[in-house]
Amino acid sequence: MNNLRTVGKSEIRVDAWDKVNGSAKYVADIQVPNLKHGVVLRSSQHHARITSIDTREALQIPGVIAIVTAKDIPGEAIYGPIIADRSPLANERVRFMGEPIAIIVADTVEIAHQARKVIEVIYQPLSAVFDPEQALQTNAPAIHPDGNLLSHFHVENGDIETGFNAADLILEDSFSVPRIYPGYLETEASLALWDEEGKLTVWFSSQKPFADRHTISQVLGMPKEYIRVRMAVIGGAFGGKEDSNMAVLTALAAWKSHCAVKIVNTREESLLAHPKRHPARLYYKVGVKNDGKITALQARVYMDTGAYASYGPAVGQLLTETVPGPYRIANVSADTYVVYTNSPISGAMRGFGSPQTNFAYESLMDMLANRLGMDAIEIRRKNIWKPGDRNFTRIIVNQAEALEDMLNRAAQSIADLKNISPAPGKQSGVGLALAVQTMGLGRGVPDDSTHQLEWLPNGKVLVRVGAPDLGQGLNTVAAQMAAEALGIDYSQIETALVDTAISPDGGVTCASRMTYLTGNAVQLAAQKLIDSLVDEASRLLGIPREKLRYQDGTLMRTDLEGANPISAADITGRLAEEDKQIIASGTFSFPYGPEIPDHLPIGMPHVKFCLAAMVARVEVDLELGIIEPTHIVSINDLGKVVNPILAEGQIEGGIAMGLGYGLSEEMLLKNNKQWVSRLTEYLFQTTQDMPRSMETIMLEYPESTGPYGVKGIAEIATVPEAAAIANAVYEATGVRVHRIPIQREDVVFVKRS
Amino acid sequence: MKKIRVTLTVNGHTHLFETDPNRTLLEVLREDIGLTGVKEGCGEGECGACTVIMNDEPINSCLVLIGQADNSNIETIEGLAKDGKPHPLQKAFVELGAVQCGFCTPGMIMASKALLDRNSHPDEEQIREALAGNICRCTGYKKIIEAVQSAAEEMSHE
Repeated sequence: MNNLRTVGKSEIRVDAWDKVNGSAKYVADIQVPNLKHGVVLRSSQHHARITSIDTREALQIPGVIAIVTAKDIPGEAIYGPIIADRSPLANERVRFMGEPIAIIVADTVEIAHQARKVIEVIYQPLSAVFDPEQALQTNAPAIHPDGNLLSHFHVENGDIETGFNAADLILEDSFSVPRIYPGYLETEASLALWDEEGKLTVWFSSQKPFADRHTISQVLGMPKEYIRVRMAVIGGAFGGKEDSNMAVLTALAAWKSHCAVKIVNTREESLLAHPKRHPARLYYKVGVKNDGKITALQARVYMDTGAYASYGPAVGQLLTETVPGPYRIANVSADTYVVYTNSPISGAMRGFGSPQTNFAYESLMDMLANRLGMDAIEIRRKNIWKPGDRNFTRIIVNQAEALEDMLNRAAQSIADLKNISPAPGKQSGVGLALAVQTMGLGRGVPDDSTHQLEWLPNGKVLVRVGAPDLGQGLNTVAAQMAAEALGIDYSQIETALVDTAISPDGGVTCASRMTYLTGNAVQLAAQKLIDSLVDEASRLLGIPREKLRYQDGTLMRTDLEGANPISAADITGRLAEEDKQIIASGTFSFPYGPEIPDHLPIGMPHVKFCLAAMVARVEVDLELGIIEPTHIVSINDLGKVVNPILAEGQIEGGIAMGLGYGLSEEMLLKNNKQWVSRLTEYLFQTTQDMPRSMETIMLEYPESTGPYGVKGIAEIATVPEAAAIANAVYEATGVRVHRIPIQREDVVFVKRS
Repeated sequence: MKKIRVTLTVNGHTHLFETDPNRTLLEVLREDIGLTGVKEGCGEGECGACTVIMNDEPINSCLVLIGQADNSNIETIEGLAKDGKPHPLQKAFVELGAVQCGFCTPGMIMASKALLDRNSHPDEEQIREALAGNICRCTGYKKIIEAVQSAAEEMSHE
């Protein structure tokens, strides 16, 4: 493992130079001849019947080419990634503000805007509900025919009553977490065009091009062979680009108008109409012995999934799996309710249910410690998973030994940070949180990933990564792992962006799984590629196969001492003359092995876990309630770090997103019944908000099934932050917050009363 | 709408336009001159992705009406490298991992250049202040700030 050639090195990203000189092309940057522009007419109502849509005047405007509404949909009118419950264009009923109703295709964006203004939609307003618990009341407005409860998960392990009876202290409390926005800098964008053969190419900023192709094919009623989904450079995604809506709309616009059409969302449209992190209310009850050992944990969680299911059922399940955190608790009972409301759609977002429960259980850990007179480290040490432990869904936890190490390092950081005095007039506090995040899609969900290698005539190797690089650097680490597997230089690898007409199907870039899956698949492909190279060399050179030995990109003759090595380019160059190529693909299936019990208390359990700890120091101005995070230490287990600078960067970005969750971000329904829909109101962390000290500690407990020991890192770093900040605020002020983002008044008024 | 005549010098080249007066500098740079390195992130001056340098000042090009830019000197990311040699900021962003998805990068680099053009030795707080209007969702800003510091250092040796 110590002799790695490129894995473990901070190689420069494959796309870095294009991104600093302005030549990287995102979907909005693509120009094609005779390109038309689409804009979307969206619902101004939270919940209403559509009585009529009058497009006659709009169609009279010169330069307007077509207007698409639900009645134009040629194929299946209802789609959804898990449950088909949504029309790409609202049909007779709108269920959230911002829901697409019509697409206007015109020569210019300005003309399309003009036309949008004169389309007359007559609504018959219906009462709306925005709170998941209210939406479950019998008198609540019915949003979908089968009721507002989308999913309910109930998981039990042990006996909750026995557990509480054994407790010396029982705490009950509730917590609220906000709706937040993935906030990729590139808004949703798509461009659809026809080729001479009548095939449709859809450029789309997406995490799941193959699934998008399937959805477009269904909605257009066209075989998927006629649809090609292509990736440009992607400007961030964070789960939010697992939504196919924009690609479907653009495809419909191209279908109706017979033109090439581009649609780029405004920031307001992105905020209103694309998936968010689920807001939730969490009711927890925990029983503990005087020595700090937790005997029972019970939770009820209500998640606001918004108007359509999106990934809500999957997020609800994953949330349920993380209810007790990374702790061995004998008696656990969890109930999660995923509820339709008229709020914006919630769906996939970095963490996928895990940040919500984390705020609850990690706040509670400190509350328990406080009541028992223990410290934050001690109570966690009493309860963390140990190697060989099973979690409450009966899955053995991988690399549980990392937790002990994390706690030791966190203890050191806490001690160091407690020595720092606050600025005059401020009070300081240091807080801790641990976190668990699952990896992979869950048993029973197809979780395969295929990637392809091609030995080019010039001797370089092209990696066709089958899933999109969202900006995190997937293509770079894929190139590193391919180089490593082939024993060649990183500089000898090229990568390509996903094109469903050419690329293998690598699945969805999500679930902290791509580096792990891609590395494994590339290793399998590399072996096949080498075998093919040896076969072809044997044939072309007339040397028996067994007399050729592959080494680091060249072939050696074993029968001739001192013969010159044969370069791969010698072989691939000759093959090119024969119009032949050496191509190999590898498919890796996420291991849901036989050791996993068949009868699990949950439908599709996740079986690999990512673990992290975070220490946060804050300074609080008690007069004004201003909370300033000054130091963050993020401790993560990566199994094996493929590219330190990329991994660190991803963790640092996770810290910023986690801070936003804890301190500034919330997509609220304002008093005027409009959603927060602009960046003046939705507050990302800026350079000035970020802590001046950010330390990243990367542990490497090798994952036995991972390439070079790799496991996922994409999501976990964001997870423990809100709780770590809340715990630090408590240490600084004595105020225990129950909701995030923490409001100044939560600190000031509680303190004063 | 009566069109207006506008003269712009962009990355050293002078352009004469006749255009609708309600267009923004961002639209003209992207659509008429083809400088798609200038990004639109919000269209209302909140994210900084469209930052270019106009007459030595960093500005949000989405907030500048094209008439306001008449006779101005504009620098964009595309004009930063000189004679095929990258600007120290570009090099530092690449080498120090300040680039992830890259969508904020052109604006971030132009805001940084405007800073270094007027203050060759900014301290960390001055860098943070100069970049406070540029949102990055991927990096947490740490490596961006380190890249600006490193570029300033390199430029002081040039």
